[in-house]
Amino acid sequence: MLGFVMPLYVYIIEDLLVALILLSSFVMLSSRWISFYIHAYGFQSFLIFILTLVLGIESQDINLYIVAFLTLFVRTVIVPYILLRMIKKFNIKEEVKLIIKIPLSIISGLLLTVFAYFLIYRLISPFSPKIVINASSIALSLIFIGFFMIISRFTTITHILGLLIIENGIFLLSVVVVPTLPIIVELVVLFDILVTVAAMLILSMFMKLQTGSFSTTMLNRLVG
Amino acid sequence: MKIFIIVFLIIPLFASLISFIAKNKRFAEYLTLFSSFLNLLGAFLILYLILNFKTIFLFNGAIAIDKFSAYIILLTAIVYFLSSMYGISYMRLALEDEKMTDGEFFRYYLFFNLFALTMFIAPMINNMAVYLIDIELTTIASSFLVISEVTEKSIEAAWKYILIVSAGISLALLGTILFYLSGNIPGSAHAVSSLDWTYMRLNAGYLNENILRFAFVLIVIGLGTKAAIAPMHTWAPDAYSEAPSPVSAMLSASLENVAIYGIIRYFGITGAGIGFGYPETILIIAGIFSIFIGIMGIIYQRGTKRLLAYSSIEHMGIITVGFGLGGVFGTFGALLQMLGHTLAKSSMFFGAGNFLHKFKTKDIRKIKGVFYLMPVTAFLFSLGSASLIGIPPSVLFISEFSIILQSLKDGYYWITVLLTVFLAAAFISLLSKTGSMVFGKPDDNFNCEKGDFPPFSYVPMLLPLAASVILGFYIPAGLHDLLSGIIDIIR
Repeated sequence: MLGFVMPLYVYIIEDLLVALILLSSFVMLSSRWISFYIHAYGFQSFLIFILTLVLGIESQDINLYIVAFLTLFVRTVIVPYILLRMIKKFNIKEEVKLIIKIPLSIISGLLLTVFAYFLIYRLISPFSPKIVINASSIALSLIFIGFFMIISRFTTITHILGLLIIENGIFLLSVVVVPTLPIIVELVVLFDILVTVAAMLILSMFMKLQTGSFSTTMLNRLVG
Repeated sequence: MKIFIIVFLIIPLFASLISFIAKNKRFAEYLTLFSSFLNLLGAFLILYLILNFKTIFLFNGAIAIDKFSAYIILLTAIVYFLSSMYGISYMRLALEDEKMTDGEFFRYYLFFNLFALTMFIAPMINNMAVYLIDIELTTIASSFLVISEVTEKSIEAAWKYILIVSAGISLALLGTILFYLSGNIPGSAHAVSSLDWTYMRLNAGYLNENILRFAFVLIVIGLGTKAAIAPMHTWAPDAYSEAPSPVSAMLSASLENVAIYGIIRYFGITGAGIGFGYPETILIIAGIFSIFIGIMGIIYQRGTKRLLAYSSIEHMGIITVGFGLGGVFGTFGALLQMLGHTLAKSSMFFGAGNFLHKFKTKDIRKIKGVFYLMPVTAFLFSLGSASLIGIPPSVLFISEFSIILQSLKDGYYWITVLLTVFLAAAFISLLSKTGSMVFGKPDDNFNCEKGDFPPFSYVPMLLPLAASVILGFYIPAGLHDLLSGIIDIIR
């Protein structure tokens, strides 16, 4: 956390957690099955919850507690539950169609992570300790990986998950870099996630009823 | 004052809920028209209060309405009023000849009023992050309007819209967090620990320069997605062409203004922090590219509403260039361009909606001889296209002229040359397309009734065009004061 001095064990936990968060996003890049994606997303959100909780306990900031438990509630429980129910209801067992194959996706993810590290290093290195640079560059790389997932996977569910990973990255960045951010911002962002996911799921249900599939490969009529 | 603003916002909410619950078609139509009329009056009243008193602060500074916000609220209210008037005609025809069901009809009125509500809230909000979330809510409300008639094409358009714009807004959110970081660097003398426009603007001198540069680029990309500035415009032609015409008008003529409003707020903060040179350059580059893409789209266009969408992209480019050039003339021109574009574009979309109902197609090549079939609509449509490309009695002529004047005054001659060439290209290409639709002779084997649709189909086209022509001759002192006040706020 920028601007706070923490005991050593917090730094170790923080390093470990952000490494696991990065790992979970690579797990998503290396998979073909939609339910796998959703579980990885829930796991990642749970790790972010633990990180926020630890930072909240250590800085004794009541706002961080609230945000942490709301994260647990919304990102770890509600959103994965809705998505999994959706999958069960429509009985989706199809594999995700990949435009970029798995090895290449992982290499691209690596490159994006390195790029995020350089960007963050140039931006905040003059005034922040190394641990913050590590954590925030991983947050930025989550944003990049989210965008990469949106452009390289062709189902509505993976599009939604890509957006959710981007939100996770933004949330992680805001917790690590600007812990004093007004709590109203975090609250409205969580509200926004719920509403956006609901709206996109309704849209994809319409799509399923019209085209018979969640795949977005046939969305190529409107050009020019 | 508090009560007044709350009532102003509750009117569209009530209209949407009641028209959805009551399930009475005539009632829903006229309730929406009535509520939009009340909102138009309310917007004028807000403007009057702002012009005579100072900025309104409500709820502990959570809502701040200054001249710029009041101007955007007025523009939104105008389009809301016109669209709900035109919606009466459009939706009746859609129920008659297309396969729109009753459920779709009431869903349309539910989300139509909610969409207007979210657009009214956006310029009032003082907190940047809450503003962005409100923009996200406008996306959700309008994506359900895009699928008013559920077809494969409209679902595709809505999906592209919600996906691209949500991703854009999340980038803008990242930019906002970096804005906050730039004022809260540990060890700095003065922490700017608030996300309010007003507070940030006053303390812009304490923000960190490097982070501010990066953050502003993210904001232009993020909110530029919503404002359909190229190259983030790809959702716009799809959504505008698949949505019902009143919704296309709302999307094009007022939603883009609301997004540009956000960019200009950030622009003001960035400029006050690190000087206006850097943000101006970014806006000019984005704007010029946007004009170029818009005109390329117009030249190779076959669909009526897609044509108007690309014209919107071009106009957003002109507005961005105007703000980017800065100065009194540039900013004045850009603000006036917002008004002129709002008036002319909404009328054009209504005309395109009438064509769609008459000819049952959006293909420009199949629409011929409108003057023969629907004289009033054709007259107003040609007047609208003339006004849209800035032929003198229209207000867009004044605004485009003053933007070009500013580029000459600052010595950016290459911008002058590019703008003139692009505007001439838009002139030729748009007029040739609309001319081929309006004139000519309809096919002999094309049999449909001659004559216009009932007055609700052309009165909403007439009103904004009349206003546009009158403003072209004479800009009232009140409007002039308002725009000069906004220039002081921005710079």
